[in-house]
Amino acid sequence: MTLVELKEGDRARIVRVTGEEAVKRHLGALGFVAGTVVRVVGESYGNMILAIHESRIAVNDATAKNVEVKNV
Amino acid sequence: MSKSVKIALAGNPNSGKTTLFNALTGSEQYVGNWPGVTVEKKDGILVGHREVVIQDLPGIYSLSPYSIEEKVSRRFLVEEGPDAILNIVDGTNIERNLYFSTQLAELGLPMVMAVNMMDVVKRNGDRIDFEKIARALRCEVIGISALKNEGGMEAAEKVVEMAKKSFVEKGPGKLTDVPHVFSGSVEHAIAHIEESIQGKVPLRSIRWYAIKVFERDREIIKTLDMSVGEMKHIEEHIRDCEKEIGDDAESIITNQRYEFIKRLMDKSLSLNEKRKDKATLSDKIDKIVTHRILALPIFILSLCVMWFLAVAEKGPGTVLTDWANDGFLADGWHIPFTTHEVDGKDYETASLDFARAEATVAAWEAGEKKAFVEDEDTGNIDEEWEVDEAVYNAAKDVEEPDPSKYGVWVPGIGALINGALERAGVSDTVKSLVVDGAWGGVATVLGFVPVIFIVFLFLAFLEDCGYMARVAFIMDRLLRRFGLSGKSFIPMLIGKGCGVPAVMAARAIENERARRMTVILATFVPCGAKTVIIAMFAALFFREHWYVAAMMDVIGIAIIILGGIALKKTRLFAGEASSFVLELPAYHMPTISGVWHHTWNRLKGYILKAGLVIFPACVFLWFVMHFDWSLNLLADEEIEKSILHDLGSWIAWIFEPLGFGSWQGAAASVSAEIAKEQATATLKLVTVGMEGVSSGAHIQNFFAAISAFPKLAALSFMVFNLFVPPCMVAIAVTFREMGSQKWGWFAVGFQLFVGYVLALSVYQLGVLIAGGGFGFWTAVAILVDLAVIWSIIRPARKEGIVE
Repeated sequence: MTLVELKEGDRARIVRVTGEEAVKRHLGALGFVAGTVVRVVGESYGNMILAIHESRIAVNDATAKNVEVKNV
Repeated sequence: MSKSVKIALAGNPNSGKTTLFNALTGSEQYVGNWPGVTVEKKDGILVGHREVVIQDLPGIYSLSPYSIEEKVSRRFLVEEGPDAILNIVDGTNIERNLYFSTQLAELGLPMVMAVNMMDVVKRNGDRIDFEKIARALRCEVIGISALKNEGGMEAAEKVVEMAKKSFVEKGPGKLTDVPHVFSGSVEHAIAHIEESIQGKVPLRSIRWYAIKVFERDREIIKTLDMSVGEMKHIEEHIRDCEKEIGDDAESIITNQRYEFIKRLMDKSLSLNEKRKDKATLSDKIDKIVTHRILALPIFILSLCVMWFLAVAEKGPGTVLTDWANDGFLADGWHIPFTTHEVDGKDYETASLDFARAEATVAAWEAGEKKAFVEDEDTGNIDEEWEVDEAVYNAAKDVEEPDPSKYGVWVPGIGALINGALERAGVSDTVKSLVVDGAWGGVATVLGFVPVIFIVFLFLAFLEDCGYMARVAFIMDRLLRRFGLSGKSFIPMLIGKGCGVPAVMAARAIENERARRMTVILATFVPCGAKTVIIAMFAALFFREHWYVAAMMDVIGIAIIILGGIALKKTRLFAGEASSFVLELPAYHMPTISGVWHHTWNRLKGYILKAGLVIFPACVFLWFVMHFDWSLNLLADEEIEKSILHDLGSWIAWIFEPLGFGSWQGAAASVSAEIAKEQATATLKLVTVGMEGVSSGAHIQNFFAAISAFPKLAALSFMVFNLFVPPCMVAIAVTFREMGSQKWGWFAVGFQLFVGYVLALSVYQLGVLIAGGGFGFWTAVAILVDLAVIWSIIRPARKEGIVE
């Protein structure tokens, strides 16, 4: 399952991040690493606002598809 | 004098770094660029400590080498070597912020961690154990609140003290105690790497280098000059680790760093459980602002506010612009609320009466039956009346009103210069050079400051309060279809004010394809200077077509959309939909000083750049307009003898298919490249010899003389000058931001093509529809248009070129 399949309010644990190296690295620095829990704060046409650690990160669906998650 | 101390201020974006920097350095800041790149470099002197320089690093999340900001930061940290690091950390998001701190700590420099926003942390009921963090990261930790100006100075003084102490105790050659955060096998590999790179790097930073080698950071490995044997040996150790852990080296480092921080946080951070997963105020605002349906209307509303503030008639922008152009930079102005009427008239009415009287006298004495007053900006005739002897006699006695009688009058700079020159008794040539040439150039640049200032002020406010990040997010869904990023919208907004900072603002876009495309397309939004051209042509040719002026903005947006679609289908820009990742900072009320710093730094950039280029160019333009080849000064009516006339004649053929292929049209178009609004001033000057009484009539008759369809020729001229490459300052910046000559020429070539083809189509197809017949150029226009349509609707390529 990837992030895009989540709905507003859902929480999930990151399994791994795939895709373009540079984006993956950037996501990694922002805390998108295996084991971290993210929460969907808002969702609009596949673009989402995520709560990770104490910050809010906006991603588009192209990016969300590259983050594999599992239910908490 | 004591040795100077260099402190690097480093931290994540939105950690309050800029606020702290401004508080620590006050007004003593020096803004420039990092060598070779276009990232802003700021340093300042620590208040009360003349010997301490604070170097503000760009806000970054990591020291990997993949964004320009990260590259300059780490090059500065490891090569130039500050004496100590002041690491600012957002206390409300400490876990994520520590990811960067652990990397900084590995550099082995003295470091103070300033945990910011402690007031919010306390209010939230969270607790952070500074001592445990200090022990784990081998640095000092101090709680501060940059916004409330609490603790920042203490943190700065602490880091200065540590830096000075380390001068005495150790140098770069000494091994320092740095945190060890990785698992056994990784630490084992790093130890091996440290062994083989010893002597090649400063000893205190050896661990940082070793980790970079482990991550296979090519840029660092290149500088180490390792032998093939050594590299092979190291590679084996890295491979062993990867096999054991089942991940790539870089991910191992990232994951284990976060695991280390997690363990540290379990011990040292206690979050108020009640707050967990609860929607914050920011989340609630975002529910509305990024709402599926409401997001766009709210954004458009905020644009309307900016539009009103900057360019709406009677809005603050136009009022300020009029004050600058007609008062401050020209004759002078009255201080508001000090004005009063004389003989039942205010100064404006009295001046207008005097202008009417002057026109009447001039008309009567020239034997004309009619007199008129023309609009200074557009050359349009505002009013016209019959002149007879009675009117003349009444007008003869009207005296020029003395502004100082109507209120507190402040003379304008133009008037002061004029007065000074007259008193000095200089020759007419010198006077013309100084007033029309030099001062005219300076005034051109300064005349746009009000509009640009308001646009920048408004945008600085939107950026500082956090809304701009949401705009990028909202617009991404729309803009990525055209190969752009959500972040492309900000440059386009700035472009409404001025294209120069717009092109520079494109730096914030990480995706290289989207960034280049933004640079190419952003200047199609008609900027402040272009609205001067639009205003003139709308007044002279399209009085009854009110929509023509508004259409120009629509055409600009259409070019961006269609141009984006067409470019995305070329080999240069094809590729996957670009990813979008952006931190949304919590909404907060911006500080006045923060917004001011932000606005002023951008505005200062505009004034300096524009001044350096536009000023000499205006002097040159004045020269070619006022002299012939034998360097005789010419009167305005003798413009046909000028150098400009010949220069225009040589290239006039280029504009033949567009409907304005005469030396006048060519000269005006070329001078528009110096500064767009020059097109109007030049056009007035070069059409002096035309029939008609007002300069507006000159221009109307000029277009009637060169084309059977004057309105189409005028429209073509306007469209051409709006949509060819922007002024030369913006072109220079475009070249720099595109990164290479080749890309720079591509951008300018594309813009030239768009402007030329648009003007060609407007004129040729217009003439065809208006019954002007079918000619060679009609065929060319139709063929080119078909090619353009094909480039937009053809199927997309799947793969782009890999750079």
